[in-house]
Amino acid sequence: MKFTFRVSPNYRQPLSTQWIMTELTLCIAVVLGYNVVYYYLNPNLGPEYAIHALSMIATSLVVAIGTEALWAKFYAKKPVLKYLTQSFPWVTALLFVGMMGVNKPLYVIIVGSLVSTLIGKLIFGGFGQNIFNPAGVGRAFSVLAFGGFIASQFPDVVTGATPNQVMESLGWVITKPEAVTAYLNQFNGLWGLFSGQYVGAIGETNTLLIMLVGLYLSVRKIIDWRVPVVFIASLFTFATIIMYFKGMGWWYPIFSISTGGAMFGAVFMLTDPVTSPTSIPGRIIFAIGVAFLATLIRVKGHLPEGVIRSILFMNMVTPLIDRGLDGWPLKAMKKYAFTIGTVFAVSLLTVSFTATTISYKEPYVPEDSIPNLGDPILFSTLPTAGNVNIVSTTVTGDITTFVIETKGHAYEAEWETDPKPNVIEVKINTVTKTIVSVTFVTYHDTASLQYATSHPVFLKQFDGLSIIVDNSVDVVIGATFTTDSVIRAVNAAIAAVLTPQ
Amino acid sequence: MPLWIGPMNAHLNGHKELTSHNEIVTVKPKGEVYIPLSNGNNAAVEVLVKEGDKVKVGTLLAKRSVPFVVPIYSSVSGTVGVVKSMMHAVMRPCDHLVIVSDGKFEKAQSFSPIDYTSATRDELVDFIMNSGLMGCGGAGFPTYIKYKNPVNIHTLIINAVECEPYITADYRTMKEFLDDLIYGTKALLKASTAKEAIIAIKKNKVEVCTKIQALLANEPQIKLFMTPDKYPMGWERTLVYEFTHKRYDKLPSEIGVIVNNATTAIALAQSLKYGSAIDEKIITFSGDGLKHPVNVKVPYGTTVKEIVEAIGGYSAEDVLVIAGGPMMGKTIPTDNFVITSYSNAITILKTTPQEAIPCMRCGRCNDTCPAGLLPVRINNAEAVADLDLIVKLAADQCIECGMCSYICPSRIDVTEGVRRAKRALMLRKK
Ligand code: SF4
Ligand code: SF4
Repeated sequence: MKFTFRVSPNYRQPLSTQWIMTELTLCIAVVLGYNVVYYYLNPNLGPEYAIHALSMIATSLVVAIGTEALWAKFYAKKPVLKYLTQSFPWVTALLFVGMMGVNKPLYVIIVGSLVSTLIGKLIFGGFGQNIFNPAGVGRAFSVLAFGGFIASQFPDVVTGATPNQVMESLGWVITKPEAVTAYLNQFNGLWGLFSGQYVGAIGETNTLLIMLVGLYLSVRKIIDWRVPVVFIASLFTFATIIMYFKGMGWWYPIFSISTGGAMFGAVFMLTDPVTSPTSIPGRIIFAIGVAFLATLIRVKGHLPEGVIRSILFMNMVTPLIDRGLDGWPLKAMKKYAFTIGTVFAVSLLTVSFTATTISYKEPYVPEDSIPNLGDPILFSTLPTAGNVNIVSTTVTGDITTFVIETKGHAYEAEWETDPKPNVIEVKINTVTKTIVSVTFVTYHDTASLQYATSHPVFLKQFDGLSIIVDNSVDVVIGATFTTDSVIRAVNAAIAAVLTPQ
Repeated sequence: MPLWIGPMNAHLNGHKELTSHNEIVTVKPKGEVYIPLSNGNNAAVEVLVKEGDKVKVGTLLAKRSVPFVVPIYSSVSGTVGVVKSMMHAVMRPCDHLVIVSDGKFEKAQSFSPIDYTSATRDELVDFIMNSGLMGCGGAGFPTYIKYKNPVNIHTLIINAVECEPYITADYRTMKEFLDDLIYGTKALLKASTAKEAIIAIKKNKVEVCTKIQALLANEPQIKLFMTPDKYPMGWERTLVYEFTHKRYDKLPSEIGVIVNNATTAIALAQSLKYGSAIDEKIITFSGDGLKHPVNVKVPYGTTVKEIVEAIGGYSAEDVLVIAGGPMMGKTIPTDNFVITSYSNAITILKTTPQEAIPCMRCGRCNDTCPAGLLPVRINNAEAVADLDLIVKLAADQCIECGMCSYICPSRIDVTEGVRRAKRALMLRKK
């Protein structure tokens, strides 16, 4: 007989960290899976997108797991398999890729996943030691390194500006009912926005689904329900204040919790145990803090996706929160209540004050959110005729001016009962075979997109482009149906010039 | 309970079905029994018998008077042997008096029975003192202390919660002696000067609850209180809070409450009625390390080894022998130690491999600590030997209930870390 000695207690709950991480992984997979299926079934996207999304996910996983495996073998010098099963690199990989848009090329994913794992986690000492949310680090790095509008994977990509980017271009205030409808309709309405009926980051769009997953995780005690609830409630409250001060409708707070990865952040990012405080009051303060900063960054910082930045900032103060709340909680209940109350009240007041300083912005488009004419692509692959109609052709010396009607986004949108074409003027120098200018005569598409598409910076990109490059045009990729309509007009003009009468 | 503190308890899988319904096995020691003379704290003890003396069940063997009066009675009849040092259930060796049993178990009257209804309160408290009754906290705290000077006591709580996993001894004892439970409760009620008594029991023990309910029909001063099936509901503070929704500083008497274990009430009833001290106990022997988990009725002083052999032996070659339940009980690296008069269980578990992985700072230990502490923070402070922080984190308030280790999904010995912190504090105090 052997009588082993072990310190008490000798009884452990069934739930293990390994199992927590397994369930979490499955839940993230469900959310990503939704989007893959959505891309597959969406007539504007199709299997090509679904496959690309899957390759993004696979790439992220391979890079993260590979990095940790190499780290385990050559740096930590530990058995690789055991190291991996106690470090859970795949969770970081899935969270990171979930925050990336489906139009991102794979090299962005490779770099981002590597940065998440290596800089976000391993150099701090691995699982449990990192200060910043690793996936958040990767995501923030990608934005810094590749810009908000990373070169797109797809020429005809319909993944235009995200809801928050468009909102950002409008100064975060829309009050006119038509404008609100026009804005929301880009994302299939408020319900579409809430239930992920639009294209965005491959894990963030379906707020409803993430909410249900969060509910499941809370019931299973995988995450502390207080964190997402406090965060979303605070974000909603702060948005309600802005709504109240600016006379907007209830769509605004709903919009505010449905976009910008708010729910994804709430359920998967804020609840990361490693980088949030260890006590309940700490986690509550943490959640309020993220909501507060995200609100401010959105309306004042001119950075549309504020949630990740706010999480990273609050990660930094987590040790302070923990320190500040050290004590005997049972004897400090009043102090905790007071602290939480104060943090919330100060946030509320600051947001109220800020709300009075923001206003509806006249079409201002930050340069980097203007669709850019990325890599040259073949003329023949561009959407062409059918929807264009040359209204008039005027020849003045070398310059030929076309006025062209072209069916824009309004024709794609089901809600438009009486769509009208955009009218565009294209001037081409027939001698030098270059485009002189492209301008809008009338614009009939979605109001908010107008600012991007009719923006001088966008249209200026056409100026001086040669119309003959080995039988191809060295333009143009668009980001939306509306940009397509511009491109179609330009193509029609080019075709008219190149085809002898 | 405000939302900014955790539940401070958790539901545990009790495995109570292993022993809650099968037959109680009586085990009689065949040769020597070893009567512990102290609780490992080396308190002075005056042995009143000599080697070679004949004793009976109930003969007064020894008496401790510092710091509290504790008489020690024999649990068998036979011949007094030598005093010998051996392992005690508190995991420290201490002196045991050897009695060689003659196998007859002849009884001697230890003291004269009294009728609590006619006795004065002081007589009753003295009686409790002389009967050698001890609380079941494992520390062997004599029962009479609580009743010495009751001030403004309004409620007596009879604790029948038994929240440790595997243990069903209290439950079985109660089922056997329901009348004694009520009788003892009434006696303690008198000693406590409280207006009413509460019998607290887990609500899932339906069968016993109904029976007690029926018995209480004509006892207006006693009420049944059903608690949730949570750990550590049987801990004084948790139980008192559950019932009164008040917290106290050191002792429940501050808020007018005295808490006593149900088995203590039963033992008192039996002493009152028959004039006998505790000689036998119902003890749960359970866990997957035993072939046949069962409740046994044994004279105290019998070794665990002898009992395990009598009930069919171990089911594995490598086991953990735990004095008490798996949460708070200590692992003893031998089975050659004895049942004490305040033991209630021996848990025997197969040794299974267990490996800790890094703390993920999830805070589960903080949320469930019944003392409302921050165990992971205490562990962090202990790791860097920050004594001031340990003091600030009130590590001395830890009751070593084991909850933080239990709940930790990374299988870290969080409780042990808190223990180390407490030890560091003690060392500094010295
Ligand atoms: S062992 Fe101590 S620190 Fe751990 S849960 Fe119990 S009382 Fe709290
Ligand atoms: S429960 Fe375990 S993993 Fe979680 S904070 Fe406590 S010690 Fe760390």
